[in-house]
Amino acid sequence: MDPTEYLTMKDREMEQKLRSEAKALLEQGKVDCIIGFEDGSLKFTTTPLITGDKDDISRLVINPFIVNNLSVYLTESKGRVGIVTKGCDSRSIVSLIQDNKVAREDIVIIGVPCPGIIDLRKVEQLVGKDRDEIEGITREGDRVIITVDGNKKEFPTREVLFDNCLGCELPTPQECDILLGEPVLPASEEDKVASQEKINSLKDIAPEQRWEFWRNEFDRCLRCYACRSVCPACFCQRCFAEETEPQWLLPIPRGQDNLMFQVIRNIHVAGRCTDCGECERSCPVNIPLRSLAREMYEIVEELFHYKAGMDKEAPPLLAAYEAIDPEDFIR
Amino acid sequence: MEQVTLSANMNKEDSTWEPKLLGFLCRWCSYAGADLAGTSRKKYPANIRVIRVPCSGRVDPLFILKALRLGFDGVLVSGCHPGDCHYQSGNYFARRRMAITKKFLEYMGINPKRVQVSWVSASEGAKFAEIVTEITQELKEIGPNRVFNDERQGNGTEATE
Repeated sequence: MDPTEYLTMKDREMEQKLRSEAKALLEQGKVDCIIGFEDGSLKFTTTPLITGDKDDISRLVINPFIVNNLSVYLTESKGRVGIVTKGCDSRSIVSLIQDNKVAREDIVIIGVPCPGIIDLRKVEQLVGKDRDEIEGITREGDRVIITVDGNKKEFPTREVLFDNCLGCELPTPQECDILLGEPVLPASEEDKVASQEKINSLKDIAPEQRWEFWRNEFDRCLRCYACRSVCPACFCQRCFAEETEPQWLLPIPRGQDNLMFQVIRNIHVAGRCTDCGECERSCPVNIPLRSLAREMYEIVEELFHYKAGMDKEAPPLLAAYEAIDPEDFIR
Repeated sequence: MEQVTLSANMNKEDSTWEPKLLGFLCRWCSYAGADLAGTSRKKYPANIRVIRVPCSGRVDPLFILKALRLGFDGVLVSGCHPGDCHYQSGNYFARRRMAITKKFLEYMGINPKRVQVSWVSASEGAKFAEIVTEITQELKEIGPNRVFNDERQGNGTEATE
């Protein structure tokens, strides 16, 4: 299959623009490297491309599968960096700027107005075939055309987007230097509700059974720390999970310690988590981690009317306070 | 810390079961408040174990989780009233941190009564005694902390419980 077959005109235009902009940035010495996406080794995937070589620029792609939140690489990169950024990623970047982890002047944000990323698992479920049997996935506005055995099937795009893309609040990067296309509108209220379906079904579990539910989920956890590695908000130099004096938790994957790890991780990223969903996507044992992240996101919004990564001038949530912060829980 | 005697395997119905409450008290206010409760002969249950901290802002949510993990039935974080912090703002930071911690643990399914926060000044010995009495009573009602118990794990070779 021609790898560009699933590109719409709009994606292709953006891709061309990205390549010329990225090339110019490198040639003019405005950046030392570019962080973007290239085609992955498997069909319908992309993989991060970090390069300072302008010959590699032609490998950069924009398509409906650019799922990774690349801002995670910013804290480790040196020099000036150009980064391909979707709306959600731009919030992570703003959050990193708030935390003084990256300097705004050191990064050139190449914004991609993002109509949502396609969840291949949902496509596979929808057509009942797996990746190798699907010949093509093309997005045409709010329809997606899936080719199987030479037959074209049409579905509404909203059925195949990742849940958090479906309810996206900021599809077009707010903070950016170069915007590659026309801004995309945020999700409709209806889609926002639909995007919460899976999470709300967990909320319906009675409080007494919830702990048991999570204990069961986290019995599967391997403590591979993929959730931590992909999370742009998880930037501690040394994680509490690996401390030995004192040892907060055992390094072996035991249910209780796994759960404690994740609870603390969520508390640590409170006010930084932008609900990008990377933790859940990276989880090899499919623990619904985004439900936890989302809950924390909502708690933060409800208590402090704060949304992560919206305002680069705002102080980080837990490094600030208001005299009127809620304290009805305090005796 | 691992040597703490744990109550997790005991039954609520077991008449000898007493809840264990871990208190993180600010050395400028609540700790002095607890002292005052003692010197003024206020009676309160001996279920509380106290760790003195320099400020309520020192209390990391990790401490709370670790205490629950070790089998404490409840945790109390107590600091200065808003505006009275010895370090100007430590208690305000603690307030935000505790607010999200408490809500999040509640969502996860941990009884919110197990995590308590209070403002007790150095002159409020009576209030300290009252709070400890109330919390102990509440913990008795909800029973032993089993959130992290190992029973269902089946491989509890290194289990301390």
